[in-house]
Amino acid sequence: MARIELEGVTRQYDRVKAIDRLSLDIADNEFFVLFGPAGAGKTTTLKCIAGVEFPQEGLVKIDGKIVNLIEPQDRNVSMVFENYALYPHLSVYDNMAFPLRSKLYKKSEAEIKEAIDKISKLMRIDAYYERKPSQLSNGQRQRVAIGRCLVRNPNVFLMDEPLAHLDAKLKHTMRSELKEMQSAFNTTTIYVTHDYMEAMSLADRIAVLDKGHIRQLGTAREMYYTPGSEFVAKLFGEPEINIVPAEYRVENGKGIASVGSGISWEVPDDVRADIEKSGAKKIDVGVRGNDISFSFEGGEGWVGGTIYAFEPIGNKTIITAQLENAQYRIVAPNDVHASLDSAIYIKMNFDNVLYFNAETEQFITRHNREEILSLKKA
Amino acid sequence: MDTKELAKAQSGVKYKKLGHCLGFIGSNLALIVFAIFALFPIIWMVTCSFKSDAEMYNTVFRFTPTMANYHAVLIGTDYFKAFLQNIVVAGGAVLLTVVAGVPAAYGLARYNFKNKEDMAFTILSFKFAPEILVILPVFLIFQKIGLYDTYFGLIWVYQLITMPLLIWVVRGYFEDVSVEIEQAAQLDGYRWYEIFFKILVPLVKPGLVSSALLAFIYAWNSFTFPLILSGFNVQTITITSLRYIASDSVHYGQVAVAATIAILPEIIACLFIQKHLVRGLSFGAVKG
Amino acid sequence: MATPDHIGVQDGINYNEIPAKIRRRPYYVVLPGLIILIGIMIPFVTAIALSCTNYSFKLPTTKFVFLKNWIAMFSNKDFYHALSVTLRYAIYCTGIQMILGTIVAFLLKADNWFTRILKVLFTFPLMVAPAIAVLVWQLMTSNSVGVLEKFLNLLGVFNFPWAASKQTAMFTVVLIDTWVNMPFVILLVSAGINSLPKSPFEAAQVDGAGTWFTFKTLTFPMLKPFMYIALLFRLMAALQEFGIIFALTKGGPGDTLMNISLTAYLTGFTYQSLAKALPYLLVLWTIVNVSARLIVNRQRQLTKQAAGIQ
Repeated sequence: MARIELEGVTRQYDRVKAIDRLSLDIADNEFFVLFGPAGAGKTTTLKCIAGVEFPQEGLVKIDGKIVNLIEPQDRNVSMVFENYALYPHLSVYDNMAFPLRSKLYKKSEAEIKEAIDKISKLMRIDAYYERKPSQLSNGQRQRVAIGRCLVRNPNVFLMDEPLAHLDAKLKHTMRSELKEMQSAFNTTTIYVTHDYMEAMSLADRIAVLDKGHIRQLGTAREMYYTPGSEFVAKLFGEPEINIVPAEYRVENGKGIASVGSGISWEVPDDVRADIEKSGAKKIDVGVRGNDISFSFEGGEGWVGGTIYAFEPIGNKTIITAQLENAQYRIVAPNDVHASLDSAIYIKMNFDNVLYFNAETEQFITRHNREEILSLKKA
Repeated sequence: MDTKELAKAQSGVKYKKLGHCLGFIGSNLALIVFAIFALFPIIWMVTCSFKSDAEMYNTVFRFTPTMANYHAVLIGTDYFKAFLQNIVVAGGAVLLTVVAGVPAAYGLARYNFKNKEDMAFTILSFKFAPEILVILPVFLIFQKIGLYDTYFGLIWVYQLITMPLLIWVVRGYFEDVSVEIEQAAQLDGYRWYEIFFKILVPLVKPGLVSSALLAFIYAWNSFTFPLILSGFNVQTITITSLRYIASDSVHYGQVAVAATIAILPEIIACLFIQKHLVRGLSFGAVKG
Repeated sequence: MATPDHIGVQDGINYNEIPAKIRRRPYYVVLPGLIILIGIMIPFVTAIALSCTNYSFKLPTTKFVFLKNWIAMFSNKDFYHALSVTLRYAIYCTGIQMILGTIVAFLLKADNWFTRILKVLFTFPLMVAPAIAVLVWQLMTSNSVGVLEKFLNLLGVFNFPWAASKQTAMFTVVLIDTWVNMPFVILLVSAGINSLPKSPFEAAQVDGAGTWFTFKTLTFPMLKPFMYIALLFRLMAALQEFGIIFALTKGGPGDTLMNISLTAYLTGFTYQSLAKALPYLLVLWTIVNVSARLIVNRQRQLTKQAAGIQ
């Protein structure tokens, strides 16, 4: 239970800055997700909080107290390492008991047994107590690592991609398990992932990290519906959002946006105001695959193209349509059948289009911004 | 393909097979020849140690075994004393090396500090310093400060043999342990020295034990150091053995016993460290 | 006081400076080992200074003679003889062991019970102390009891002189050195052969490359780093060899086997003029270090190249 703050923290290796003047304020009991591509500095951030990396600049605070000079063992944090970092010479049970046997967090063997039994059941590793880490599968190792992290009651749980090596089904159960545990434990959790679904389903708040900087900080809804930049927009959602160059002009007192020669629409007034205020010379528009409807017949309002790719992925199908110079990924039901290079007609839901400044790739606006964000999470 | 070509191809395969077969026989024959070269001296030595002086001159393998030589060497001379003293000196040297060298190996493996690589190379260069060059001045100083012909004096100079070996080999084993394991242990509430003893030492133990044994063998084998730095108080097996052949009335059987006793512990030790031998011999450069 | 552009400093404490306690830890850890080694190396430094004096066990006082010992050495023909013995011994031993050792390592390439047992057996001579190895070979080559004499008699050779003759003494010491140390080369090259990755060879086979071509362009370059390590260790030891030669003949017959180490030992101890012996050893030390550095640099380069092939 603790509030975690970073103030202007920089950690560099040789000349590369893994994180660069990073500031964060994570509230007590918050489930906070650090999200970003590989090399963004997520793990380094965790390690600076844990104290195993020493920042060259800036302060790390736990519950308002500066902990830079406090050694990791005295910070009372607990961490899941991405590569498990299990002790190879100890059994699963001893691995999990290890923190509880240290001088600092000493517990009686009976208490240790009770704590481990409880966590192991949740993690489904209670059958492997006697095994060594080398005798386990990657998924089992990862669960032992999570187990070792959870047996204690620390200031903060730091979790570095804790579900990355689990198979899809287990990942899903573990995800809900973790979320439930976190609210039961009442402990601040900082969770690193590069899986947007994990980020969105778990997080109270998400920080999108890239090249050592925070690109955007906010709730899952904000990330999805009002991403701060094209970069962030591309990170959330499957298939990846379609971002295409668009033209914006004012005709007869109306704001008209158009993509290519076939698609154009009148932008709503709130959008128009924002675009004009932003002073963007060129714009990009982003439209998600599920905001594009399609048809094989065409007709009034439909724009034609050809099918470039067709990927059934179980519960849905991703169709990539080629229109003039742009490609659009479209979400289709899984019972659709189509052959490559055949004709397809699409139509966009213009209400959900995101508008970006094409030069800075920053978000400008969208329709009904306030209303969308104020809706409660389903 | 007509029949003629087919026949040609088939005979080609036949020749290839024949060549293969000859190569197999030839290479194994060569190996056996080399095995004889490597092992025969040792086997012959051991057989000689059981021969009486009379049979030494006229037999090779057929003879009546006798324990007289062993009796003469072990009871009649101070060879057994030299054997024990050699164990003390070599063992003491390895012990000191392990106590001081394992932390150093850890430091050089894990920490980043100024001049680290220079320090590691300096340690290695001791291995390549001519022994006589070091020994001449050491001899002078040891005589002045009374370390000449003492256990401690020998144990100390033996560090030149054992320490670089142990530090370089064990350093490699420490480097094989992921840093994150140490970090995990820190977060689990352990201080660095607790981590060192509870996590790291158990993890490098096989490598550590093997390189300590190898260091022991090297110390045991040392010739130059005891030749110059020991007198009558402390004797080692390498120096004492030589006296057997130098004496006028040569009892060849006893020479053989001396050599056999000197070699035996090493061959036994060597069987235990096979897995780590290449890595140890090459100072960690080849992981074997 | 917080400085505006560096928030790590607060209330006079710099939170971005690693505490001295932690910063010094590596030195504490390395120090004991280093002290022990340096303690023994201090005499080595004094050696350089002593080499410019007339220090001797026979003289009561010591005075500074500058380069006299050095000049004496360079104008002494024994020095050039010693240098030549040192280099010949090193080249013969290293050359023979490298070539034969590599061949045997290739013969051991197949992995079966026979080669596995042989690999263990071959390590035995390596464990034998050079001085004891000399003892064994002295017995073997003895003209009265030696088994080799009996063997040579069968071939019609009688009283082969071995270490007693100027013509065969070098052959004998090189033989003993080879018996002891060749397994080292075998083991290292074997380890190299075992560590060769499979995929480039499979690719070469699919491409129809011949055996010799594969060896020349794949096997050999990838083995070179291992061979250089073997070469490094063997050459360094052979250049300084003292034990085997001293135990066998003390440098004789005559001065046939007087290499630099033995000459220095003789000058320093038998003739008791230590200061005169030191220039010899410092020359040897220079040779050893320069060649070590050359080999190490080349080895690193080759390792990079070999990694490139994969």
